[in-house]
Amino acid sequence: MGIYAEPRFLPCGDLALSVELGDDINREVNARVLALEYLIRQRNLAGVTETVPSYRSLLVYYDPLTAGWDAITSSLRALWREARPEVLPPARTVEMPCCYEGELGFELEGAAEKLGLSPDEVVRLHAAAAYYVYFVGFTPGLPYMTGMPERLNIPRLEQPRTKTPPGSVSIGGTQCCIYSVESPGGFWVLGRTPLNLYDPSAADPILLRAGDHVRFRAIDRAEYDSIADAVAQGTYTTHIEAPRHR
Amino acid sequence: MNLLVHDAGPQTTVQDLGRRGTLREGIPPSGPMDRDAFLLANRLVGNADDAAALECTLIGPRLEFADERWVAVTGAAMAVTLNGAPVPRWAALQVKPGEMLRLGPAAAGVRAYLAVSGGIDTPLTLGSRSTYLRGRLGGHQGRALRKGDTLPLGPPSGGAPARVLERFIPDYTEAAMVRVVLGPQDDRFTPGGIAALFEAPYEMTPQADRMGARLRGARIEHTRGHDIISDGVALGGIQVVGDGQPIVLLADRQSTGGYTKIGTVCSFDIGRVCQVKPGQRLSFKRVTIAEAHELGRAYRAELDHAIHWEETP
Repeated sequence: MGIYAEPRFLPCGDLALSVELGDDINREVNARVLALEYLIRQRNLAGVTETVPSYRSLLVYYDPLTAGWDAITSSLRALWREARPEVLPPARTVEMPCCYEGELGFELEGAAEKLGLSPDEVVRLHAAAAYYVYFVGFTPGLPYMTGMPERLNIPRLEQPRTKTPPGSVSIGGTQCCIYSVESPGGFWVLGRTPLNLYDPSAADPILLRAGDHVRFRAIDRAEYDSIADAVAQGTYTTHIEAPRHR
Repeated sequence: MNLLVHDAGPQTTVQDLGRRGTLREGIPPSGPMDRDAFLLANRLVGNADDAAALECTLIGPRLEFADERWVAVTGAAMAVTLNGAPVPRWAALQVKPGEMLRLGPAAAGVRAYLAVSGGIDTPLTLGSRSTYLRGRLGGHQGRALRKGDTLPLGPPSGGAPARVLERFIPDYTEAAMVRVVLGPQDDRFTPGGIAALFEAPYEMTPQADRMGARLRGARIEHTRGHDIISDGVALGGIQVVGDGQPIVLLADRQSTGGYTKIGTVCSFDIGRVCQVKPGQRLSFKRVTIAEAHELGRAYRAELDHAIHWEETP
């Protein structure tokens, strides 16, 4: 288990390939994925048109007229040798206010019952943990995070919801995610953040990025409403801690 | 100068060649579902390939022009009229101020492209004018067109009589055949499962939109479950979930997903998938990566000779 001795190059049609670096979800493998992406972008690797990081692999879109299969895989292999976590710039820590009360955390009680904990205990454990964003995807700006204590590991919903409100902070398996747009969902919704994970009207529509650290701050409904107002008026400033080394 | 929308049709959107570099943020590229029909429409009216045009789905719009323009309609077989008189598709036409262009229902195919000389000049969002409907991003206010909308046009770039050569005009009533490269998770399927994909045709279901197209046919058998550790989803990825049925992922696809992908439809055949109507069939043909690269190169070079420019007096 863990990091492969050599990367696997998996074809994804005529314009993309997946570079798979390991066989499980862990921070070390993911840091290498992000490091490989970082080096590709920094050096403008010939032929690469776009990259998409995920837990343990990097999807690389390429132009076969500039770099064919042999050329692109050999240049990626060379870069992979350098792709160590130390090459990455320092990560930032983003504070996400989260209200766990009432309708905003509409599955908190169900999750607590499933976990054999009190709702207050679930909130305390969830809000105290330090989270890490492996990647952003599925829908615009949706962060895939881990960092929860083991006591919050929970099977996904048996019947996925067809609609989840944006901002819903939710857990499933060992993971935590925040829904960014109204979408179906299979994770338990514990609360909601008033911040926009995705704002199509903003010049930079995405709040969280791969490699970010995230902390939740439990807020009450009154503070949720006041932050939501400030966000709507564009006067809210997200709390971002100075970058720190990984 | 602008374009007035009298009737919008069920889903008419502004598209250019799409966004680049936003998939890593979960934002799909969007852009035309049938890239080649889109390119030819732009080229017919003298636009750059990346000018914005309209993608019309199943039934076209009715539009009034405020000034003189060249226009071209390609893709799905929607009967086109100018002030009520039939005019050819796959050809450049001149329209005069106050004239009304109408695209009817698609007799064959699904998506038609309407390019206007000068291009649709809606604002750039993240470097593109393409509409991403689910994300309410780009195009005209992040949504499909509605009756009463006014679209700004860029300065006209000139134009000349031109048409697409007959052999480049697809017959969407024929069963489609699209080329597929195996992977990234072909090792998660049985030999019989892989054979099934390429043996008999699959039928397009009504569950097909800009995100993906769900097909129905022989069951594609997994070796050990359909869940994977979520990874990036390439354009044309053929995702197979628990029911063994394939879903081809398209321009507005999710950037990442947690289901096995048996293969990927080649870029040069994606447009053809997007013109298959529900109930019509399409078959998959297996090619190697080297073959796909050669086919793609030859196809794109060929496309450069698709337009015949009429002699100008």
